[in-house]
Amino acid sequence: MLKILQQYKKRIDVPLLAVIFFILSFGLITLSGSNLDSPNIIINQITNIFVGLLIFSILIFTNPRILFVYAPILFLLCLLLLVLVHFFGVESNGAKRWLAFGAINLQPSELLKVTLPLMIAWLYKNNQNNISLGIHFLAVFIIFIPVYLVFLQPDLGTSIMIALSGLLIIFLAGIPWRLILTSTVITIISSPIIWMNLHAYQKNRVLNMLDPFTDPLGTGYHTIQSMIAIGSGGGFGKGWAEGSQTNLQFLPEANTDFIFAVYSEEFGFFGIAIIFILYLLFIYRIFILANHMQDTFSKLLTASLGVSIFSAIFVNIAMISGLVPIVGLPLPFMSYGGTSMVVSLASIGIIMSLNNHKTLIAN
Amino acid sequence: MDNYRFKYIFKKRLQILFGLLTFLLFILLSKIFYLQIIQYDRFNALSKSNSIKVIPIPPKRGLILDRNNVILADNKLVHSLEIDRASFSGLAEIKDRLKNKLNIEIDTFDITNKRISYLYENTAPIAFSLTNKQIASFVAHQYLFPELTLKQRFIRDYPNGKSSAHIIGHINRINEKDIDFIKKQNLTRQYLGSSHIGKSGTEKFYENLIQGTPGFKEIEVDARQNVIRTLGERKPVPGKDINLTIDYRLQKIAENAFGEKKGALIAIDPENAEVLAYVSQPTFNPSLFTNGISHEAWADLNEKSSKAMLDRVTAGLYPPGSTLKPFVALAALNNNIRKPPFSIFDSGRFKMPNSSKVFRDWKRGGHGTVDIIKAITVSCDTFFYGLGLELGIPKLNKVLNDFGFGRKTMIDINGEKSGLIASKEWKKKRFNQRWYAGETAITAIGQGFTLVTPLQLANATAKLANPTLSIKPHLILNIDGIKQDQEKDEWGKQSYKDEDLKWVKEGMINVTKKGGTAAFLGKKSNYQMASKTGTAQLFGLKKDEEYNEDILPDSLKDHALFITYAPAINPKIVIAVIVENGGHGGSVAGPIAKEILDAYLEK
Repeated sequence: MLKILQQYKKRIDVPLLAVIFFILSFGLITLSGSNLDSPNIIINQITNIFVGLLIFSILIFTNPRILFVYAPILFLLCLLLLVLVHFFGVESNGAKRWLAFGAINLQPSELLKVTLPLMIAWLYKNNQNNISLGIHFLAVFIIFIPVYLVFLQPDLGTSIMIALSGLLIIFLAGIPWRLILTSTVITIISSPIIWMNLHAYQKNRVLNMLDPFTDPLGTGYHTIQSMIAIGSGGGFGKGWAEGSQTNLQFLPEANTDFIFAVYSEEFGFFGIAIIFILYLLFIYRIFILANHMQDTFSKLLTASLGVSIFSAIFVNIAMISGLVPIVGLPLPFMSYGGTSMVVSLASIGIIMSLNNHKTLIAN
Repeated sequence: MDNYRFKYIFKKRLQILFGLLTFLLFILLSKIFYLQIIQYDRFNALSKSNSIKVIPIPPKRGLILDRNNVILADNKLVHSLEIDRASFSGLAEIKDRLKNKLNIEIDTFDITNKRISYLYENTAPIAFSLTNKQIASFVAHQYLFPELTLKQRFIRDYPNGKSSAHIIGHINRINEKDIDFIKKQNLTRQYLGSSHIGKSGTEKFYENLIQGTPGFKEIEVDARQNVIRTLGERKPVPGKDINLTIDYRLQKIAENAFGEKKGALIAIDPENAEVLAYVSQPTFNPSLFTNGISHEAWADLNEKSSKAMLDRVTAGLYPPGSTLKPFVALAALNNNIRKPPFSIFDSGRFKMPNSSKVFRDWKRGGHGTVDIIKAITVSCDTFFYGLGLELGIPKLNKVLNDFGFGRKTMIDINGEKSGLIASKEWKKKRFNQRWYAGETAITAIGQGFTLVTPLQLANATAKLANPTLSIKPHLILNIDGIKQDQEKDEWGKQSYKDEDLKWVKEGMINVTKKGGTAAFLGKKSNYQMASKTGTAQLFGLKKDEEYNEDILPDSLKDHALFITYAPAINPKIVIAVIVENGGHGGSVAGPIAKEILDAYLEK
């Protein structure tokens, strides 16, 4: 038993895990503060964390070669699930995002956050001696398929997230700067076409981001209430479980997408500064690990998993503070919900697994 | 691309990316800094206004009591049936069910017109004042009405029904005009949460004292406006209790003496001008208004012939008839005209000088030899015709003015009328006609244009009874038990010579003695009273036409008037009575006054 624990300790990266534990506990503290009278939610979230850590533990003992070998299959499987969502998904708020397997609700788009980086890293690893423009374009194409499928659900937020983290992998893989510039120009030019293909509610969200106070009781309501929650937190917050915006249900989705607004209201700017430092340490540590890895697959996968989580964090906080439109995106490690928690912890598990097997894949 | 080069590019790109991500976090932090630190006050205020509501708690109205603390206006705790806010839309259906199942009729006022005081309560009243039977029946069937609850509320209650209604006045729901008034007076804070306001009588005149100050409850509400908890509370300050000068025992006796007759009565203490009784008949039940009066009831109250809402004491205008004669006599004496022993021989006819016109005395054949004392006692018209002509209108009017006729007494009741003292100038202005000598003659006997309120008559009589009286008549005695000092009448006390007054008073004392116009009243009296009867004609008789009471319709019959004070020495009470269409003053109005005198002086 002691031996297993020693093995376990050897296989984890303590600084990274410590940072994550801090973030996890902040999330749990915030969640429990606003759910004092519904212990089920807290118990469920602890279960989610537990399941996530279990998969994390399995993954750190797994040889990443298996992931490498199965990367395309996992990716295709994920695409299949996305197609299935389109036909059999559970519909809520006009969008189909979940598949119901008995008691478990699975959100395939969350799985993409792991399988897509796997797939892209696999692609570059297989062509590591010949990373040509063609490979970059192929990578873009591979990214486009799931992004489009998720966009059809419709889930604008997640599709942008996936596209963003996918493109960052290509960036890390060394896509030439001129290509980056060209594609940026093309994106700007084509943005009107994207605009025209947006759903009415998505357009409204974008418009309201520009000035949420134009329609305070309609489409701007969520943004305003969220900004009020953050702003009224002040320097040191209203105190744990004292957030009036949260407790009186002015804040929508306080347990999931808007949990950071609750945190801001109750712990103030001081609390936010602390958690931002943790986020920075988080991504810094992952980049250090990625830099120290030896093979293309490990490097790209590690960095992109980290970037993927970080992007989700950024977009979520930008959304609740009124910087970007409200898109419906959980905050990794903090929001209430199983899929996001498990996927995030699994990503960390994969990173640590890659870290343990630096040499195994290098050959 | 070899592995080494890839590693190099990858490291570079990682550094760039880390820089980019740090920059992004910095942007986020700046935005949050802006929200939390720079805009903190604004968002904190927004957060509070989101969730914290201040709810006014209406104060209890002050009580209105008589001088002996008999309650005239009270607050009654009643059981009310209240509907959940969520069920407002189903009110019509619930109304039907209540009617069919429990036979409870709910009030008609519009509940959807949400009053501020109801807004953050979770229920709103739909029926006040449930009877015990209704309560029992509702409790037994409550399971049928999950959207209704039984609650308790204070409502205004007038325990004496129609009695004293014009003194007490009434309250009614605040209407748009009231809101304008409240805003203009800057009293909006004072009325937060209140649904009613004084509309007449003491309820109106002392509204600012009776109303009280609302309290506030600070509550926290959630996004659906449900009350979560009370954060703080400031209790309302109830309105001040008011003791009126009214003696309810006397008031009740006066009302009973009046019976079904129309008219007005006012009794004043001549020592201090306190109003002891104040009757205006017909009257109304102030409770009718408390929750909105029905159209039928309102129309009934304003029916032309009865005018129940008219406060006849202060706003009823009547020709004074012969009750004016003591004051006319005083004017003459004051001007050294017709001083005893001057006398005339009255044949019952008075021929206007330089004219063929003849005025008749009320008594056929006249009163024989009449001096100014007897002229009052027997109400000799002939004596006063000549007196008036010699005296002239300006000198007469000066006395009437000194005794408070033709102007408001400034009693503490709204809507007082000032009456009318006619003059040459007035007639020119009003009708653009010249003044005729004959008008002077009939003015001297209280006919003509002169109009008085019963209050003015009583006030003038009080000044006659107590020459030192300089306080205006009033209804307020104590506020919250503290005696109120009364303002002086701005005209001050009258300043007529005692010897002149003595003759007038002697004439008045003799009115209830043998030969007087109300001799029968004095027969069984343990005290001496000074009085004057009056009969006000409502239409002019043509020359040689006779007044025949029996063939006249009621509405054209003379008004009966009576003024009196007693005891004649050191008077304790002054009374003025008018019975509309009552006929002769002495026989109709006199006995009513006498009953009150008996009750007051022989208690």
